[in-house]
Amino acid sequence: MDVLTPSTLDEALRLKAEVPAARPIQGGTDVMVELNFDRARPPALLNLNEVRELRGWSRENGTLRLGSGLTYTEAMAGPLAEAFPALAEASRTVGSPQIRNRGTIGGNLGTASPAGDALPPLLVRGAEVELASVRGARTLLLTEFLVGPKRNALEPDELVTAVRVPAGPGSETFMKVGPRNAMVIAVVSLALRVDGDELLASYGSAGPVTGLVRAPLSERAGFPEQVAAAASPIDDVRGTSAYRRHALRVLTTRALDRCLA
Amino acid sequence: MADAPQRARGEAQYTADVLLPGMLHAALLRSPHAYARVKKIDVRRALEAPGVHAAVGPEDVEALTDEPGFFGAPVAAIAANTVEQARAALELIDVEWEPLEPLLDPDEAVRRGQLTDEPRRNERGDFERALADADVVVEGEYRTQVVLHNPLETHQSVCRWEGDTLEIYTSTQYIWGIRSRVAKQLGVEPDNVRVVCNYMGGGFGAKNDPGEYTYVAAELARRTGRPVKCALTRREENLAAGNRNATIQRLTVGARSDGTITALGGEFVNAVGWDGWIAPTDGPMQTLYHCENVRTVTYGAKINTAPMKAFRAPGYVEGTFGLECLLDELAARLDVDPLELRRKNYAHSSNERPYSSKNLMECYRRAEPHWERRHELRTRSDSTWKYGAGLASQIWYGGGGPPSYAWTRVGSDGRITVITAMQDIGTGTRTAMAQIAAEELGVPLDRVRVELGDSARGPFASISAGSSTTPSMGPAVRAAAADAKRQIIEIAAQRHHLEERVLDISDGNVVSADGNLSSPLEEIVGLLENAQILGKGARGPNPTGMQVLTFGVQVAEVAVDVETGEVRVLRVAAIHDVGRVINPLGASSQVEGGIIQGIGHTLSEQRLLDPATGTVLTQSLDAYRLPTIADVPEIVCELIDKPDEHLTNLGSKGLGEPPIVPIAAAIANAIRDATGADIHSLPITREEMLRALEAAKQKQRGAPAAV
Repeated sequence: MDVLTPSTLDEALRLKAEVPAARPIQGGTDVMVELNFDRARPPALLNLNEVRELRGWSRENGTLRLGSGLTYTEAMAGPLAEAFPALAEASRTVGSPQIRNRGTIGGNLGTASPAGDALPPLLVRGAEVELASVRGARTLLLTEFLVGPKRNALEPDELVTAVRVPAGPGSETFMKVGPRNAMVIAVVSLALRVDGDELLASYGSAGPVTGLVRAPLSERAGFPEQVAAAASPIDDVRGTSAYRRHALRVLTTRALDRCLA
Repeated sequence: MADAPQRARGEAQYTADVLLPGMLHAALLRSPHAYARVKKIDVRRALEAPGVHAAVGPEDVEALTDEPGFFGAPVAAIAANTVEQARAALELIDVEWEPLEPLLDPDEAVRRGQLTDEPRRNERGDFERALADADVVVEGEYRTQVVLHNPLETHQSVCRWEGDTLEIYTSTQYIWGIRSRVAKQLGVEPDNVRVVCNYMGGGFGAKNDPGEYTYVAAELARRTGRPVKCALTRREENLAAGNRNATIQRLTVGARSDGTITALGGEFVNAVGWDGWIAPTDGPMQTLYHCENVRTVTYGAKINTAPMKAFRAPGYVEGTFGLECLLDELAARLDVDPLELRRKNYAHSSNERPYSSKNLMECYRRAEPHWERRHELRTRSDSTWKYGAGLASQIWYGGGGPPSYAWTRVGSDGRITVITAMQDIGTGTRTAMAQIAAEELGVPLDRVRVELGDSARGPFASISAGSSTTPSMGPAVRAAAADAKRQIIEIAAQRHHLEERVLDISDGNVVSADGNLSSPLEEIVGLLENAQILGKGARGPNPTGMQVLTFGVQVAEVAVDVETGEVRVLRVAAIHDVGRVINPLGASSQVEGGIIQGIGHTLSEQRLLDPATGTVLTQSLDAYRLPTIADVPEIVCELIDKPDEHLTNLGSKGLGEPPIVPIAAAIANAIRDATGADIHSLPITREEMLRALEAAKQKQRGAPAAV
């Protein structure tokens, strides 16, 4: 297996165009697991760790632009945590310190797992994903980007370069139920945001894709039930479908209390 | 810790670190079916794969099977230059499987009479009559799950033939057991088997026997003429390296209205697996309380799951959960304080046999301040989080026994080496043995070195199981140190023309009772130049006619989120009576480890099977959930530390297992205290907690509880 290590975005896009089957890797917290468990044997890894353009975050014209190489540790603290509190809360629940130091938002998007902890906070913000290839750049709504369980809308020659969310005010939170207190993939997770007169909730691990539910604030009372009904969870080693729905109801109620307190 | 620097610096050599020149790596082909027959097996393609040197199958090694009775049963093995080559070659072994219908339900196995052994019945008094006469009867069915040992170091051995001698470097709890078992299996003299285990990354009961990895490595080493390592992967560790078997316990207690227990009965189904033995799940019911009428029967269900192995107080962990939950349900029924109920039914002897020592009443007394905290604790409850406390008693073995031997060697520099061919399974044995020798010889601890871990370099030593390392080995070390000391005093007496009885060794000096002589040890033994003083010691018998047991009580405090079912263990106070404590730091570490492992058993760990096929679904440590440091509560450890006057020259019992025995029941009882819900099944996942809360609600309404 080859490891391709570009140092610029242009070079990365060129390599991705040349070897579309090359698997992008940042922190490796998903990719290395797949390799170790022999679930994937890509012909090459496209190591994006040296690509400066993918790192960090910025404010641009009322939006927050998060590079796909932004780590959970970076999202957990400082001004970004203040500007995007639900993402910070979600990031704190990811794995262990070592995993948070390595794992990236871009990796979460690339893997597109319904259990990806960064996805619900991004969804309730109406996030847009920036994609690039040698053919040019395009932007997709995150809801359009996530097309199925562990499937996204990336073309074979494309890379995720960033994700953008509006920086506007609003009240938001993130909650996660796991079978123990750390190092867990969510049994179920929930991000909730009150944006003016609108309620937005996004659930993880409770359907084939991370789901988004909206309602006017006036329908607050029925919102927990609405969220639970929207989900389509399954039974697996982490929990049952019935429990997941129940937990979504409880978490939504609590998140509403927290955001509207 | 005597060996802390070596461990911290990575210098301590574990079996996983053993790399011998020319060493090959073995990988095992395991059954993808819970029950199957191997109709045909062909390794020819595998033998042609890159780096492969040899392959063995069921006809070559007895530990490999052509009728796998569980998912993951070992069927064949490959030796190659690298472990990756060996694993890749496994895919080239052509096997024709004939899948058979697996039996996975232990109750069904009992109904069909598919048992590993005759049912074990224990009865005293007249249970039926006592039950009929009881003022109150409480019954309950309790279930415990399969949990896995998951020691840090996986099961592994490196085997090398030197002429007709087999060297085995292995991660084991019993060097001498490996030596005799392998010798017998291979038909060689025990002295032609050398077993080495210098450092070991834990076993918890799963490493008492050689295991297929040892036999496979030995045979592949014989065939290739090269050393062979066979190390289980973490996934294999979660499949086929042993487990604590699941149990179903149908329990009954009858009592008078004043709380006196008059009848105890239990039907225990141990889901043993394809092989294994019947752990004493009935043990706590038989021994923990005074009760004249006790009737138990224990079945060993033979089902198509991986064989159980001993796991930290096997049987007693499971049985204590059932019994101590049942007792709290009785206490609730009678409106008696749970601690008072236990005191009232205190056993002062064990079926007329006295205990060598028992300070459980003292443990209860010291539990009082912890138990009192429950009143304040409960007041913290709100509509979501409910707080409560619970307790449970502990009884277990831990007295050790003979034989075990140790040697001491005192050099002319006054330094002492303790030599015994025992293993340290990671409990701090080197430190404890050094402490015992240093104390007996009257020298500072840093003068003592402990050499262990090699059957060719020391005398027989006991198994490190059953909490027996310190009580079995400690007395032998102390006797060997005393033997050397006697010889030193003899020499000093001759040299200084004093009577032996007025001489002693203190802080590294030979001293006389009148204080006129204080001579450094090395000056006395230094007279001898190259000569050495050699001491030897043997472990004496346990007291005749007495029961040597360990006791304790734990008080757990919990918080339960009644909406999500989350259970948080906030604090555990553990009070144990294990005789004399040798190393307080090592002892509290055992208590903490036992409680943490027990919290996993209680709340999150569970080996899950596909109910249709018997496939293990929890093969990784993501799916199989050990507790993390974020799940660890405040742990308060109190040890009674009274030497057992009847037990050996040391008065010490073992502490490896006792702390894990009562924790599940203490947590379950705390949950009842907090919420009113009866816990009958482990692990107490969030869903199980919600189910128990719902059942409690139904019960309160007078409706039958939904199952």
